[in-house]
Amino acid sequence: MSTLCPPPSPAVAKTEIALSGESPLLAATFAYWDNILGPRVRHIWAPKTEQVLLSDGEITFLANHTLNGEILRNAESGAIDVKFFVLSEKGVIIVSLIFDGNWNGDRSTYGLSIILPQTELSFYLPLHKVCVDRLTHIIRKGRIWMHKERQENVQKIVLEGTERMEDQGQSIIPMLTGEVIPVMQLLSSMKSHSVSEEIDIADTVLNDDDIGDSCHEGFLLNAISSHLQTCGCSVVVGSSAEKVNKIVRTLCLFLTPAERKCSRLCEAESSFKYESGLFVQGLLKDSTGSFVLPFRQVMYAPYPTTHIDVDINTVKQMPPCHEHIYNQRRYMRSELTAFWRATSEDDMAQDTIIYTDESFTPDLNIFQDVLHRDTLVKAFLDQVFHLKPGLSLRSTFLAQFLLVLHRKALTLIKYIEDDTQKGKKPFKSLRNLKIDLDLTAEGDLNIIMALAEKIKPGLHSFIFGRPFYTSVQERDVLMTF
Amino acid sequence: MISAPDVVAFTKDDEYEEEPYNEPALPEEYSVPLYPFASQGANPWSKLSGAKFSRDFILISEFSEQVGPQPLLTIPNDTKVFGTFDLNYFSLRIMSVDYQASFVGHPPGSAYPKLNFVEDSMVVLGDSKEGAFAYVHHLTLYDLEARGFVRPFCMAYISADQHKIMQQFQELSAEFSKASECLKTGNRKAFAGELEKKLKDLDYTRTVLHTETEIQKKANDKGFYSSQAIEKANELASVEKSIIEHQDLLKQIRSYPYRKLKESDLSAGEAEHTQEQAGQASTTSNPDEFADTEIYTSRPAYTPKLIKAKSTKCFDKKLKTLEELCDTEYFTQTLAQLSHIEHMFRGDLCYLLTSRIDRALLKQQHITNFLFEDFVEVIDRVVEKQGSTSFEPSRDRPPSRSLEECLIPKVLISVGSYKSSVESVLIKMEQELGNEEYKEVEVTEVSSFDPQENLDYLDMDMKGSISSGESIEVLGTEKSTSVLPKSDSLTSLTVPLSPQVVRSKAVSHRTISEDSIEVLSTCPSEALIPDDFKASYPSAINEEESYADDNEGAIHFQASTSSPDLREEKEGSVENTPSQTDSSCCIGKESDTLLVPLPTPAHKLVDDDGVVNIPPQCYRQKDQGFHVDFAVENVNLSSQGNSSESFPPYELDPSCLLASRDISKTSLDNYSDSTSYVSSAASTSSDRTPSSLHPTGPSSERHKKRAGQNALKFIRQYPFAHPAIYSLLSGRTLVVLGEDEAIVRKLVTALSIFVPNYGRYAKPVKHWISSPLHITDFQKWKLIGLQRVASPASAGTLQALSRYSRYTSILDLDKKTLRCPLYRGTLMTRLADHRTQIKRGSTYYMHVQSMLTQLCSKVFLYTFCHHLHLPAHDRETQELVASRQVSFLKLNLGLVNEDVKVVQYLAELLKLQYIQESPGTSHPMLRFDYVPSFLYKI
Repeated sequence: MSTLCPPPSPAVAKTEIALSGESPLLAATFAYWDNILGPRVRHIWAPKTEQVLLSDGEITFLANHTLNGEILRNAESGAIDVKFFVLSEKGVIIVSLIFDGNWNGDRSTYGLSIILPQTELSFYLPLHKVCVDRLTHIIRKGRIWMHKERQENVQKIVLEGTERMEDQGQSIIPMLTGEVIPVMQLLSSMKSHSVSEEIDIADTVLNDDDIGDSCHEGFLLNAISSHLQTCGCSVVVGSSAEKVNKIVRTLCLFLTPAERKCSRLCEAESSFKYESGLFVQGLLKDSTGSFVLPFRQVMYAPYPTTHIDVDINTVKQMPPCHEHIYNQRRYMRSELTAFWRATSEDDMAQDTIIYTDESFTPDLNIFQDVLHRDTLVKAFLDQVFHLKPGLSLRSTFLAQFLLVLHRKALTLIKYIEDDTQKGKKPFKSLRNLKIDLDLTAEGDLNIIMALAEKIKPGLHSFIFGRPFYTSVQERDVLMTF
Repeated sequence: MISAPDVVAFTKDDEYEEEPYNEPALPEEYSVPLYPFASQGANPWSKLSGAKFSRDFILISEFSEQVGPQPLLTIPNDTKVFGTFDLNYFSLRIMSVDYQASFVGHPPGSAYPKLNFVEDSMVVLGDSKEGAFAYVHHLTLYDLEARGFVRPFCMAYISADQHKIMQQFQELSAEFSKASECLKTGNRKAFAGELEKKLKDLDYTRTVLHTETEIQKKANDKGFYSSQAIEKANELASVEKSIIEHQDLLKQIRSYPYRKLKESDLSAGEAEHTQEQAGQASTTSNPDEFADTEIYTSRPAYTPKLIKAKSTKCFDKKLKTLEELCDTEYFTQTLAQLSHIEHMFRGDLCYLLTSRIDRALLKQQHITNFLFEDFVEVIDRVVEKQGSTSFEPSRDRPPSRSLEECLIPKVLISVGSYKSSVESVLIKMEQELGNEEYKEVEVTEVSSFDPQENLDYLDMDMKGSISSGESIEVLGTEKSTSVLPKSDSLTSLTVPLSPQVVRSKAVSHRTISEDSIEVLSTCPSEALIPDDFKASYPSAINEEESYADDNEGAIHFQASTSSPDLREEKEGSVENTPSQTDSSCCIGKESDTLLVPLPTPAHKLVDDDGVVNIPPQCYRQKDQGFHVDFAVENVNLSSQGNSSESFPPYELDPSCLLASRDISKTSLDNYSDSTSYVSSAASTSSDRTPSSLHPTGPSSERHKKRAGQNALKFIRQYPFAHPAIYSLLSGRTLVVLGEDEAIVRKLVTALSIFVPNYGRYAKPVKHWISSPLHITDFQKWKLIGLQRVASPASAGTLQALSRYSRYTSILDLDKKTLRCPLYRGTLMTRLADHRTQIKRGSTYYMHVQSMLTQLCSKVFLYTFCHHLHLPAHDRETQELVASRQVSFLKLNLGLVNEDVKVVQYLAELLKLQYIQESPGTSHPMLRFDYVPSFLYKI
């Protein structure tokens, strides 16, 4: 590190965050590798609690260790690597995102970490991807900021002839704070409102005596079908928390236990914010009867989303995976470019982007009607209500249904794997696949493909050729084979 | 609603670009790839190809105090696996993360070195440039000669897929913890042994020094100590101190907290060992103190030697190997555990994840699993066992008992009684018993079921049944079906009737003949069957129903089913039996096909709702209506030549046919036993080569793959695959007849994937049998590979086969023919489409598995659908309930024609399994029906 580095000091800047609920997070830290002093901690974020579970000294000690060995870092340009520690001796788990950046004139290695108690391991693991994805993106933005700040500092030093060391690099902290706090809030809300691993079918629509008792038959069919078509990622909004949560639990029945733990029920009185990356989340409408979904965060979700309104029984869905990922990436690139081009700190404030990208226009109509009907969910719903409720028969029947879906998904993956020699050849025979695997209904194919995408990421993009084709275009293309 | 602020920035009227987005202003390192999967070679599989190693492996590394981080060994120990991957560099990378933060050595203010039993650390890290990611399990072992007595080690699971590691973090952690505990336990043992030896050495040294000092003292008469004496005294003091230190260390290592042992999942032997010690120790002292005592005490005699008081801290000494540090036995067990881990996590993540989900979902459906799953419970048990005792390499192996050996369904009553249970149907039809007599016999049979009695009088029936091979074949080509060729269906199987058989036929008094009209066809589909025959199919298929409902001649049936007395009697006969069903199982009626279970289950088919299951008699009574003796004059136009044998005159008596027509008022085709259609199409016989014999043990991946491959070949090469598979799925035994054992076994293995299980442990499949088939074989096996031998001695085998040919489907591999009932459903089309583009056997196996799971789901629904099996009101007759069931199967489950029978049969199996007292001991049952058979040829 150059002379621009702050002097070593045991005192580390700390931000205390007041959270409404219990925080499973002990602290978050931002550390860097000092070429002379080794790993140093720059900033600590900790929830404001009466009982201090981890002293600043311990946090610093742990944070320093996240950069241990990073002098040997061997990463691709621009890579943000994830390290995950379970330190039984200390009783903590640490998630560190390690990245290289230019700050204050030198290229160095940095680590943004969150620290949780080891007892929260099974709580945290299903949420790992959500946290990492969100922190990764803020790091992407922060890196740009650091780079730009350095240029500005050099200009200032030249102009003013003085070194204002105390100001250097400080402004990245508020940016990181802007994402660390929501992550803390997310974990806190998940602690109190996450869907349990085991769902009692009695708390769901599938316990009704007959289809249509709780909600309209067509609505239920659409909701479950679309939910499965969008990889099990859904947002349920409504005015009644009870009604919303019943649908949330119903949809969660179709998820794996780990995915359920990454889903959230609706809060009874006030509404949570939308959180990108959860599988199913219930959200309460405000007094005006509306709920505002943040476009950016919906776009940044790893999978397309189904929007379900239980008040008016509507189901809307986003385009399929490959289209969603393509749009997401374009949006991300636009956002980062806007940051790169921003000229002042105000321009770079996270949620007030004013720069307009010349070449990209996001389509605001990302939620559309469910176009493709399926036979799988329809048959399931037609049949499951024939079984007597309350005898675990329906749970068994549901398990069979899910098993069929998973086996079909795996067969589909294997089919494509064989046909393309593990991706060495392009896939040309969607029509054959549909016939051979009994997936001739478009909705059935979508459901199985969505499930396959979750266990084999990138399958959509691979199968449907050029990733930026729309789902309609790609079908036209594939049907010509 | 989408919030505005997020989008305002990007709102513009431009359209999507067709070209990849280009933003030169933003350095690529700060951007994100537009196609996240393009960077990996544009396909979901290629990310694994970026790494320098060919597949996942385990690396054990050490932070050596002499040379720094170094790789010790890899699992598998094959250089091809890690290829050009730099193990030295990666060891450096993973060992540079020092997380043994706890202090080991002389703590400040402490007189003696202190051992801390540090807990392991787990780290996931990677080298994105190399494409290598690792789960690293850090552990510390003790070595008396090491600096601070500790040797840091780590075990790393290295993979090219980071998600694989994170998504299975807990499983990896649990498995590596077992390996680590094994190493550490062995190490504590070895360390304690080392300390004991050292103490003995020190003790011996002290004695020697003491003696020397005393000698010097005595020799010293000058009144002051020489420098040599002082040196000796210092040395002695040093030895004394060292003894105290080592005693303290020994005490520490022996007092390794018992709780840690208990928490960790140790090998069974050690755990027991430790608990025993704890039990013994608890009577005298704190169990923690003595937890490991015994482990560390039993040692061979050791001869102490003189040592220097101060240990030499030289760097040229040879450090102990890991094996020396951990005791060979424990080291070997650790390696076995690591091999197990490597095997456990090998392969593509998607298969690992799905198999985990599969297991979880299968646990929730233990009721239906037995039908088609691969002995889930057995495997689960093995997995659990491996989990708990995974240190023992031998336990990692699958059970060695062959399934055929241990999983044969239990036969509870004598062979004779089985014979009788089937053949009684026939003899009752032959014997001209009066209605009342007949009823009495039946009721007695149901209520008492004396096997010996049955045996006696049914032996007689057996003789009669031998003569029941009459059949009429209609042979023709696809184009010329107007002239019906004459053929014996049995001759098409090259099973000449022996004179004895003919004789017994002649003397029998059966009023029913198993006449058949065979239409041999190249294609099982109805579309290619000539119109003349098409018309007859529905009636042929529905003959049971037509007899039951329409046939006036079926007086026994009518009387029997309509007699309330008899029904009451039947109800009475089962009234006293305790109900074995619960409210969720509500089937109250036998299906149309007849299942003859053993006495025990037969008496249990009454549900809580008081619905009495109709016992098997009613089916027999249906057959009683089958008083049809008919034949047609066969004209053989077949070029195959195998049906040229003429029928005996009595088999071809047209008057019998006419008479039967008069009686039954139905067409000939309606009552034909089998109809086949011979085409002149060239044979597309498979070019099979003998393969190695498949074990019948738990299905390995390799086994599945081969079975799938051969099944795929079968459906592609044999146009009659659908009816063959239909036979298997509907419970009709399929006999695969052939000369070549390897070919037969291969096909039997292939077809076994379609065979539903009876119980939870074995498929009713006999891969190869060369002795004559017995009736019990049909009870035990639903798929049989039968040897055809040309020698006269083997005639018995074929005779036996011909005797039972009415109840079985016969696939003749040598002649490429299949004799079995017609199939016109849609299920098999999806299950076994000969035009399928599926390329690999394993993929086809997976496809079959998913289709069969779908089928099971339907079966489950049908079986446990309450309203379907209970009368809607008091006046609803069984017939109405039955028709409601059929309509449910057709309308709600979308089943067509024979598919209904498949679901009904599987539902029967499910029901029987469900009401078993002890699941898994499913009794075999003999099932038969008089569905007309057809002869298919390529």
